[in-house]
Amino acid sequence: MTKVKAIFGNFKRYRFLMTQLISRDFKVKYKRSVLGILWSLLNPILTMTVMAVVFSQMFRFKVEGVNYIVYLMTGIIMFNYFSAASNAGMTSVVENFPLINKVYIPKYIFPIAKCLFVGIDFLLTLIPWLAIIALSYVGLGQYTCHFNWYFLILPYIFLCMFLFTVGMSLILSCLSVFLRDVWHIYGIVLTLWNYLTPVFYSIEILPAKLQTLMHFNPMYQFLTAARSIVLYAQRPSFTTMGILGLIGVGTLAIGAFIFRKNQDKFIYYI
Amino acid sequence: MIKIKNVSMKFNLGIEKEFSIKQAFINLFTRKNKRKKETFWALKDVSFNVGKGEVVGLIGSNGAGKSTLLKVVSGVMKPTKGKVEVKGVISPMIELGAGFDGNLTARENIYLNGAILGYSKKFIDSKFDEIVEFSELRDFLEVPVKNFSSGMTAKLAFSIATVVNPEILIVDEILSVGDIKFQEKSKHKMMEMIKGGTTVLYVSHSLESIKDLCTKVVWLEHGKVIKMGETKKICEEYYKSQIG
Repeated sequence: MTKVKAIFGNFKRYRFLMTQLISRDFKVKYKRSVLGILWSLLNPILTMTVMAVVFSQMFRFKVEGVNYIVYLMTGIIMFNYFSAASNAGMTSVVENFPLINKVYIPKYIFPIAKCLFVGIDFLLTLIPWLAIIALSYVGLGQYTCHFNWYFLILPYIFLCMFLFTVGMSLILSCLSVFLRDVWHIYGIVLTLWNYLTPVFYSIEILPAKLQTLMHFNPMYQFLTAARSIVLYAQRPSFTTMGILGLIGVGTLAIGAFIFRKNQDKFIYYI
Repeated sequence: MIKIKNVSMKFNLGIEKEFSIKQAFINLFTRKNKRKKETFWALKDVSFNVGKGEVVGLIGSNGAGKSTLLKVVSGVMKPTKGKVEVKGVISPMIELGAGFDGNLTARENIYLNGAILGYSKKFIDSKFDEIVEFSELRDFLEVPVKNFSSGMTAKLAFSIATVVNPEILIVDEILSVGDIKFQEKSKHKMMEMIKGGTTVLYVSHSLESIKDLCTKVVWLEHGKVIKMGETKKICEEYYKSQIG
């Protein structure tokens, strides 16, 4: 109990540093650009347009019975968050070595700050995403999506995905301190993971065996839960929501455990 | 108050090679199954106490382990063996300007660096003018720090680091910062802080400033405490051993 209290006390003490690190990332990202923070909004809109055109017009992908553009976009924004945040989180500890070597700062701050920083971008992408759903009412795509009360469950799903991402970042950032190869390996793993997750296709086109295996893919679980709300206006079952929570909290706990156990050794690998 | 009890610190010099495939491949042919572990003890069984209000100077030649000891005390490193107990808030001035981001302006960096040193937003807000005034950089507040000269950067960093009234101060030779005028000013400021009743751990090669400030001196060599005690006596012995 006192341990938990100490952790939260630490959190409070370093909250200001966390906000400073995040705002630094923002300032540096948009330095010398005319549109500045607008890019955080414009970028996803443009990317979404390109993806929508490529997959629905050129490749003529379809998922039976649902609005394909919304199907695709839901997958893309969620998977992109995970991939961008876990990647940035992974490199964050090594990148801040000069700082870690000089001042005492709890090291877990760096991966968490990165996940939050990318998370703000993710929240901004929700605006064009909601706009697309609204546009489906006036004939964007074949089918109409319906706003419904279950949308209120979405923050829970995103939160679970966030916790999962933080957990992964903690594990990866810790590993990459000892083994810098992880950076290169994870790049490839992410590409593979992207294709193994039904971002732009439907799971039905896969062989039955792979379909069962898919359930072990956390990103598939997050995507499917969100899609069932947005596309089918169906509440994910309580079992599903429990599983999502378990994935999030479990991964975070494993990540925190590994990170904690090894963080004192980081200084030797600078 | 700082209690240093039997602290030893080990570094693996061969750590760079530890994981490389190239090394493993070479080992296959050289039949050197057991690589010699190249270890280096930066500190060996160091113990001493720093009481409240005491100013303790650390002397010794380059590589004696002074900076490592400061890092262990400030919590950057955990000792391999032994224990360090610290009571009170530490203000480490081991390296100034840690975490300055060249792309950010001086104003933004004051907040960033302050946060890294553990200041709260409220505290920086209230001390902002004091920091700017002391650094003499009011006209350059909106300039990115990457365009600063090294002297200007050091001035800014010094001003941020010394704005607190810490209970424990750890100083690693930073008195000579900026131009002559600022050096005098910073020296004065340091004296003020040290004489204000804070506990200080001070590393310097300048025996003059050690004699000026310290109530006690610890002489380190090759990671071991050679002697400790009264400032004047130890300083003279150290000087003789180095020059004579």
